[in-house]
Amino acid sequence: MQPTTHHLPLRIKQIWGYSALGSFLVLFIITGLLWLTYRYWDWAVWIPIAGLVLTIVEPIVELAFIPYRYQFTRYQISDLAVEMQAGFIFQKRVAIPIARVQNVTLNAGPLLQWQKLTKVTVATAATSHSIEGLELPEAEQFREQIMRLAREARHDNA
Amino acid sequence: MTTPKRTHPLGLFQHIAKSLKAYWFLFILLLSQWHHINSIWFWGTLTLMIFVFLIWPTLKWLTLSYIVTPDAIIVHSGIFVRHHEHIPYSRIQTVQRKQWFYLRPFHLEEVLIETASHDDSAPEARLAAVPTSVATTIEHYRHAAPVPATTAEATTTSVLPAEATTTAATALAHYRINSRDLIKFGLTSLIFIPFLLVLLGLYNKIPKSFTNALIDDASHMALALLIGGALLIIVLAWLGAFFWTLTRYYHFELEREPDQLRAAKGLFQRNTITAPLARIQAVRIKQNVLRQWLHLQTVQVLIASKAASDDDDNDLVIMPVIANQTVYQTMTPFIDWLPQTAPDLSILRVPRNWYLIRNAILFVALPAIIIAWFWPHLSWISLLLVIIAGLQGRFAGRNTAGALLKADLLALQTGHFWTREVYYVPADKIQSMRFQQSIWMKKTQLAHLTVNVRHGNHNQAIELRYIPVTAAQDLYDWYLHRA
Repeated sequence: MQPTTHHLPLRIKQIWGYSALGSFLVLFIITGLLWLTYRYWDWAVWIPIAGLVLTIVEPIVELAFIPYRYQFTRYQISDLAVEMQAGFIFQKRVAIPIARVQNVTLNAGPLLQWQKLTKVTVATAATSHSIEGLELPEAEQFREQIMRLAREARHDNA
Repeated sequence: MTTPKRTHPLGLFQHIAKSLKAYWFLFILLLSQWHHINSIWFWGTLTLMIFVFLIWPTLKWLTLSYIVTPDAIIVHSGIFVRHHEHIPYSRIQTVQRKQWFYLRPFHLEEVLIETASHDDSAPEARLAAVPTSVATTIEHYRHAAPVPATTAEATTTSVLPAEATTTAATALAHYRINSRDLIKFGLTSLIFIPFLLVLLGLYNKIPKSFTNALIDDASHMALALLIGGALLIIVLAWLGAFFWTLTRYYHFELEREPDQLRAAKGLFQRNTITAPLARIQAVRIKQNVLRQWLHLQTVQVLIASKAASDDDDNDLVIMPVIANQTVYQTMTPFIDWLPQTAPDLSILRVPRNWYLIRNAILFVALPAIIIAWFWPHLSWISLLLVIIAGLQGRFAGRNTAGALLKADLLALQTGHFWTREVYYVPADKIQSMRFQQSIWMKKTQLAHLTVNVRHGNHNQAIELRYIPVTAAQDLYDWYLHRA
């Protein structure tokens, strides 16, 4: 079997967009609290200002990187190994031989559930590696495929 | 042995000792209430202590029973919640036998059995005091159980029980530490640093009035006293660590049986660990800074069990101290797949140490700046920090190396905190491999490579940073396409 490269489903971009919104909200609340410390406890004024700058810059950066993040997040399955790639500035590739896979876990937080996506985690005896989001049927197919290959390649280890 | 057996009554001491270790602070509580001997708190604490140190351990001892059957070891335990642990022999990672000197006349010992299960940090079975025959029986059945073959060389012959007992008796290789090496090992151990911290802690406990009086008396030679005191504390810590190591590694022995290694050591407590060769995840040859100067090395094995967790540096030491030039010829009889001579690891060397030095300095930059900014008179600490970090970066750069030795054996060398470590990892024990490169590193033709190996209950990431991209890529591709 030739290794096939897969991208994540396009809807993952929306999830990332919402999570940028989420970090904006969290940072906004923190900045508000910092402003209160300035107002009532006489903390230095630059603290809430720094908070405000971060509140504006961080979500913008997060949003700006979504297309790159999407472009550079990929995974491949061959008969022998699963390979995952991520990152634009810091590129990472990880190789997990099918024979080393202990289990595959699907889990989804509220955002992913709402979009009918699921996070897939491949665990070995030592490490675990995740794909951020896959369509539910695709994820199940991924799990079946890996577990089938793993059964075939089974060498009891560790 | 078909009916559940209780451990020997002497095992009760072990349970009590464990309680004492965990709840010793109750004594301090009791002492603090000594003046209010009639108060309810005093009697309350006393009752609590009787419960914790006598009743609870006794109940624990009473409720623990075990059976050794031909297929598995079964341990029943628990006071309110009953646990029934069923451990098949093929799942056992290590069997550890600990014999305190007071158990020796009774031919008893503590037996700890561990599997690779992730769940618990505690061993799967802990039998406080059982006859030595129990461990022997377990070993016997374990030989009979087929160990799943994992290395390419390992053959999957399920040996017959009768055969196993005869082969188990013959050791293929044997090593026993001589007193000169033991002393060398003790003297070069760096565990005196934790001892030092304990002593410093005790020093703080000395009443201030006493030390002040001492300093007043001798204020004209305060500096000499201070330096002398510091030296004395260091020497004391070092001696303490030396004797500690001496008692723990007294009569260290390593034995190779056809399919397992057995390491035994200790004076007051004889500690014997057996680990199947097929379960060894990696071999690590390690040198702390003292041992680098003296050209000595320590050999350890990484296994997927916590048996060795209270061992020096958290690993199963199979060769405490050995001279650089003899390490490989001494080790190969014990572990066949190690190279015969020191291999050439230059393929994965760092071409320029600068990046590692820069990163180490950046790591300490913030604390260094803060110290120099707020306490200008302490800026020499900042300077020292930066210099130490820079030297550590250089050390890491000079010691990073590695190569693929055979089609199925990888060697990796790292330098962390002035400790040089060489890992030998069989290819099929590598759990995953990570290749990393930032966009700036594309220009400099460098990359990071991380090899993940199972170690104890967690992951050991062996990371080589800033190595040539082609070499890293070759290794990564080799791993990805390995059949």
